[in-house]
Amino acid sequence: MEEEYDAIVLGTGLKECILSGMLSVSGKKILHIDRNKYYGGESASITPLEELFSKFNVTMPANQYGKGREWNVDLIPKFLMANGLLVKLLIHTGVTRYLEFKSVEGSYVYKSGKISKVPIDQQEALTSDLMGIFEKRRFKNFLVWVQNMQEDDPKSWDNFDPFNNSMSLLYSKFSLDKNTQDFTGHALALHRNDDYISQSAIITIRRIKLYSDSLARYGKSPYLYPMYGLGELPQGFARLSAIYGGTYMLDKPVDEIIMEDGKVTGVRSGQEIAKCKQVFCDPTYVPNLVKKVGKVIRCICLLDHPIPNTNAALSTQIIIPQKQVNRKSDIYVSVVSHTHQVAAKGWFIAMVSTTVETDNPELEIKHGLDLLGPISQKFVYISDYLEPIDNGSESQIFISSSYDATTHFETTCLDVLSIFKKATGEEFDFNKVKHELGDEDIQ
Amino acid sequence: MASRGTAQRPNGTQGKICQFKLVLLGESAVGKSSLVLRFVKGQFHEYQESTIGAAFLTQTVCLEETTVKFEIWDTAGQERYHSLAPMYYRGAQAAIVVYDITNQDTFTRATTWVKELQRQASPSIVIALAGNKADLGNKRVVEYEEAQAYAEENGLLFMETSAKTAMNVNDIFLAIAKKLPKNEQTGNAGTSGQGRRLVESEGQKPTSGNCCK
Repeated sequence: MEEEYDAIVLGTGLKECILSGMLSVSGKKILHIDRNKYYGGESASITPLEELFSKFNVTMPANQYGKGREWNVDLIPKFLMANGLLVKLLIHTGVTRYLEFKSVEGSYVYKSGKISKVPIDQQEALTSDLMGIFEKRRFKNFLVWVQNMQEDDPKSWDNFDPFNNSMSLLYSKFSLDKNTQDFTGHALALHRNDDYISQSAIITIRRIKLYSDSLARYGKSPYLYPMYGLGELPQGFARLSAIYGGTYMLDKPVDEIIMEDGKVTGVRSGQEIAKCKQVFCDPTYVPNLVKKVGKVIRCICLLDHPIPNTNAALSTQIIIPQKQVNRKSDIYVSVVSHTHQVAAKGWFIAMVSTTVETDNPELEIKHGLDLLGPISQKFVYISDYLEPIDNGSESQIFISSSYDATTHFETTCLDVLSIFKKATGEEFDFNKVKHELGDEDIQ
Repeated sequence: MASRGTAQRPNGTQGKICQFKLVLLGESAVGKSSLVLRFVKGQFHEYQESTIGAAFLTQTVCLEETTVKFEIWDTAGQERYHSLAPMYYRGAQAAIVVYDITNQDTFTRATTWVKELQRQASPSIVIALAGNKADLGNKRVVEYEEAQAYAEENGLLFMETSAKTAMNVNDIFLAIAKKLPKNEQTGNAGTSGQGRRLVESEGQKPTSGNCCK
């Protein structure tokens, strides 16, 4: 450990592992430390199941849940958008070779007390009960406009400037009613609240395009989920970093970040000191350099059945748009199961989550819990959403934000890319890795 | 005999191809990467650097009935501070545990790697023990008989190898290939989960279906 590194990365959550991989690929000498004896930090998948019960101080009933080792339970629920940033990072870095995925079977949206499938093609759209026949026609015209609209070709805009007009005006252009707006903004564009309506339309247009491009890739839904759980993702990027020379130490306490004249010079663990020019870390390693900006409630539910009214889907996502339940932020339900090797045969894991708005967060997720049917075991936890108060330009300490309540990894990747740029002064060059790391298949 | 570089059958027909994930384990500097480099590329570098930039290699071995394609995972140095991820063991159908015949500690550590495999990996994993650097016989400290007895007790394949002279390198991979079960359920490198791999310009079909057709 007592060497000099370009950068020391603290914590092996997904963000830190992607950063570590990108830095190693860019030729930096990296030491990557975690105080835990496992990879993943907050974004680990807990295994065996006994570990999850003991984490929440609950006694695990004997012989009810199959083999504990067959479970890998995520602490933070998210899916990958099939055409999103994380998939691009995985493919360009070659990390995808260590992982396998399954498409999420269906996506549902909550309207007037019940859930409806988000249509994935014309056929489903025609039979969907989400909107009436005339509204369907208007909605179709809207989607066709979004699909044909090219940002760099004003001729394709059809007299609507998407950069200088709000989303609200675009909705008016196609006369979409409030329910359709709710559906579009929350189930397709995946906005967490209604702030987007007054913002530039292009933001939402890009998100709808991401949704439909992702859907086009595998058909069933725009979402992917890795076999064995999300905890595989940080492990994959850690391996990338190691292949490019990164040094890994788990189960290593971090006792001090050493500063000189306001700038980081190293990290101390016990009596050992590793020198470095930069530190990258998650908020838990620098409690004095972050502020609390909100709270997220997450509830892990173990079920011995699929979610009612989802056609027995083995994986699904349900979005409860805020307005439907008089809230300011959406409630998300994500479901994965034994088919992803994250639960014993016949078992399902549902996660209900949202941004906390009141003093009684458990009551806030009730609408989500009510959709699940009988719940065998519930684990509720509330985590602070932390953001750095220091941008790192002086201290050279670059801190990631906590994982937010979004259902996918787009904000995660944006945070990583922005930290990389802040720290290195340049955008990450995907070409650095792509060609050097060929499959080396000798056939 | 294993033929390098082709999956073509001697009689010109293409046999059934079975793909297996094989992981390497062992202390730093026992020659894990050198063994793979010798097996896959037929090369040897006296001053091989610590593993950088090549942690995913493939090579095929032709048997009578089938062609075995190894997807070989190197530790990428993550063994150094005992920081190998569970992902490394996941779905591994074969392992080579390497020690250096001139270093007793590496043999002791090899036995703990074997225990780690028995704990973390699939129960049906085929494990081979390789006593590497056999060309340095004059500096030997681990006796052949000692290692062989240990291997027999634990049901491991065993050979002494030399990445430098190529002694037994192809043979140990061939012995593993022969011992691996070749049926529909197993011949599918690391894909016990039956998901899909993501590739650029992805079509509609999963890219990693059953390999034994």
